[in-house]
Amino acid sequence: MRDLSLLVQMGFGALLALSVYLPLRCGQLSLATPGFYAIGGYVAALLSTRWPALSGGGASYPLTSLALELLLAALVAGAVALVLGRPVLQLRGIYLAIATIALVEILRVLNLNMAWSGGAVGIFGIPQPFDGPAGYALATGVLLALTCWLCSRLEAMRLGRAMSAIREDELAARCMGIPTADVKLIAFVLSAVIAALTGVLAAHFLNTWNARQGSFDASITTLAFVVFGGSRIWLGPVLGGLVITALPELLRPVGDLRLILFGLVILVGPILFPQGVITPEGLARIRAAVRRA
Amino acid sequence: MSTPAAPPLLALRGVSVRYGPISALQDIDLQIQQGELVALLGSNGAGKSTTLRAISRLVKPVAGLIEWRGRSLARTATERTVRLGIGHCPEGRRVLARQSVAVNLELGAYLRRDRRAIARDLQRCYERFPRLGERRSQPAGSLSGGEQQMLAIARSLMGRPRLLLLDEPSLGLAPLLVAEVMAILQQLHREGLTILLVEQNAHAALAIADRGVVLQAGSISLSGSAAELMAHPDLKDTYLGEGEPGDG
Repeated sequence: MRDLSLLVQMGFGALLALSVYLPLRCGQLSLATPGFYAIGGYVAALLSTRWPALSGGGASYPLTSLALELLLAALVAGAVALVLGRPVLQLRGIYLAIATIALVEILRVLNLNMAWSGGAVGIFGIPQPFDGPAGYALATGVLLALTCWLCSRLEAMRLGRAMSAIREDELAARCMGIPTADVKLIAFVLSAVIAALTGVLAAHFLNTWNARQGSFDASITTLAFVVFGGSRIWLGPVLGGLVITALPELLRPVGDLRLILFGLVILVGPILFPQGVITPEGLARIRAAVRRA
Repeated sequence: MSTPAAPPLLALRGVSVRYGPISALQDIDLQIQQGELVALLGSNGAGKSTTLRAISRLVKPVAGLIEWRGRSLARTATERTVRLGIGHCPEGRRVLARQSVAVNLELGAYLRRDRRAIARDLQRCYERFPRLGERRSQPAGSLSGGEQQMLAIARSLMGRPRLLLLDEPSLGLAPLLVAEVMAILQQLHREGLTILLVEQNAHAALAIADRGVVLQAGSISLSGSAAELMAHPDLKDTYLGEGEPGDG
């Protein structure tokens, strides 16, 4: 059972990493992902605990209600991203990172102090749509697969090419007629939606939701996923999210050394693989090697 | 200049641009007729690139009017100017080094939806620039400087511009390659393309241009036909500065 729970958390890690990856794909370092993750979680927690009609009569929480939560969370997070994105995305580089960290902090402090979000205690007793971790593993797997599919399609789409062009040279992209502000906004909204959907599943999975779910620490952790895995192709953040989430658990047998080893991996990863473990060139080499064998 | 009934393709009227406290352009008047090749000359920091950036709306003028075929561009976004037919080939080539030659060219046609015509233009582009055709699947960063300049020009052409703004295409190229680039521009001009060519290499630019305009510290100090400017005794020393062509 514990192993399946770890798989679910690894899936959440991979999804959040993809949420950080999408804006990065067009050169935008946004650390807002935990904020939208928190929004998604609160949408799920509030709807499922304060709206009795959603719970139905059965023993477990209905899947249709879960689907409704996912839809609403996506809409709320998407709308917030759409409104905030225009002004925030005019900032560049480190300034965008700082502004998005501030966004996460503002949301955290609001959630910590508002009555409707349960204050410091948060919201607990969130109903369970699945009997055990197997159901969550399946739901997370489906969401992850869909997100991966979207990201892989992007590489071949006009939108994806425009994103790459902006990342490589924004001025050149503008001269080609690419509406850079719109493309960046689309990436930001997609990123927010993915994080919010993950938050919905996480709120049910954790059974409780509070302001600690979206914090500055989480911004840095999700960024570490992408730094470790690589940000040039979608497989990188997925691997980073899976591995970095799993590592502390997998290292448990080595006892007290585990945090040191975990730190070493985070430290040595970017030194050995400055572009992340997975790069398009590396994948091409592996593919060529497989073909030869 | 007597203006015919039809408005000029592009007109700048009293355009001024500032970068914060620094004035980059003051009160620029410039008209370009359909089919002309105009050379915009001047030394480093004279405001040549800024003029092009103002036309393609990468910078917003603080005063003055820029008109495209008689219509003000004051509320037009850069991507919209591309759609209107203003192709800006920025300084320093700025090809996407990691992307293949073919992807660079396809991105040049980003706003177009006519797939068949794009494919035809791509084919014509490979005929015009055979070396790009040979290297179509290589990353653009692996091309030589001259090839990258050709790619940058070809990429702008993929947007089917009516007016091509070219920023220092000879920058950093060997004389033989400069001649090659100029020959291509001359050919495009003959085919009817209107070109505003920014150059520090006045001699090479005037050799193919219809007329020239000299910018000095953000203002137009001299203008005339290419032949007049070529014959002007003080062109090199007084107007362009004695400096060698360098980074613009």
